[in-house]
Amino acid sequence: MHAYQTIRRGAALALLLAWPLMAWAHIGQGDIGGGFLAGVSHPVFGLDHVVAMVAVGIWGAQLGAPAIWALPVTFPLVMAFGGVLGGLGVPIPGIEIGIAVSALVLGGMILFAARPPLWVAAVIVGIFAIFHGYAHGAELPESANAISYAVGFVVATGTLHALGILIGVLNRWRRGAQALRAGGALIAACGIYFLSGHLLG
Amino acid sequence: MRRCLRPLAARAGAAAGLLLCATQAHAHSAAKGIGDFYAGALHPLTSLEHVLPFLAFGILAGQQGQKAEPALVAFTFSLSLLAGATLSLWIPGSPWVSVANLASSVVFGALVALARPLPGPLFFAIAVGFGLTHGFANGEGMAEGGRPYLFFPGVALAGLVVTAYGLITTDWLQRKDVGWVRIALRVAGSWIAAIGILVLAVSGRTLFTT
Repeated sequence: MHAYQTIRRGAALALLLAWPLMAWAHIGQGDIGGGFLAGVSHPVFGLDHVVAMVAVGIWGAQLGAPAIWALPVTFPLVMAFGGVLGGLGVPIPGIEIGIAVSALVLGGMILFAARPPLWVAAVIVGIFAIFHGYAHGAELPESANAISYAVGFVVATGTLHALGILIGVLNRWRRGAQALRAGGALIAACGIYFLSGHLLG
Repeated sequence: MRRCLRPLAARAGAAAGLLLCATQAHAHSAAKGIGDFYAGALHPLTSLEHVLPFLAFGILAGQQGQKAEPALVAFTFSLSLLAGATLSLWIPGSPWVSVANLASSVVFGALVALARPLPGPLFFAIAVGFGLTHGFANGEGMAEGGRPYLFFPGVALAGLVVTAYGLITTDWLQRKDVGWVRIALRVAGSWIAAIGILVLAVSGRTLFTT
């Protein structure tokens, strides 16, 4: 009995010890870990991106089917298109302002629980997707490993959407729907804050 | 109690062993010492440029359902890998092979995102075409002095294993008949296509500016 416990503990210890080794091993091979972390952290550590991505998910949940399903499938592709523009250095003025406006507009849509036709919603989200993708794509070529950067950044963005959709489940209850709309006001306020930062400072 | 713990301990030990193996596997230099067959099998597995499209191809095959004979297509892909690797012995390399491989991420991923049944000949055509380019890139990656007759089958087997995993998992998930599973698969395809588009843009810029 004791012997098996010892084996199990030993195995657990071996697992723990193997972990950092695996992480280190990546660095020798084109810095997969480094590129991935840079890609993940770029959308996650910029509050303006986080707020807008989560807002896209929440609005999608408010709109319900089919928007909620069309959104996570098409958004990454449109954003990648924006990323290509950024990666190729195609000049688009006012990217940062566009990102701040995206939080303001999406927050407003959630606040008023706006239900435009699907194509209008798609165009609104699509334009913002290009702005966000552009900002990430501009950093893509400098990354140590472009493909792991891209993996990290697509996964992080998708996870933020999923978070928004998950929060949007609240919409099923009356109180929850009210809470969501209040959240929309908060998101719009964030947008105004980001915007004032770019316009004033 | 003893009887229960014994396999558990064995499994934990095996898992630890596997993880330790992974340490060696990720570093390309260490792959030299483990024989040409395993070096060939690891070569595509340690590069996202190959693993992601292989996976997307497996999901795509799984989405087609039984009518399209997905297993046959998976074997065709694997044999095309072998053929492509063999071609690399005679044909000089080109940066466009890597571009084609990244494009395969976009094509396979976008088709998964669309989730429409593909015409059989088209499916076979992309399996063969991209199988050749992926096989070629991996064949080129063989270290100096490697034995092709061991390395290349390793590449083909790795391709078969990854696509088979994608195929079987997709088939199994779709049988669950849960609405969001199909969406989740399409989202996965969309992510893989998006990754391909982004990296294609960067490598395209490198190609055209140099």
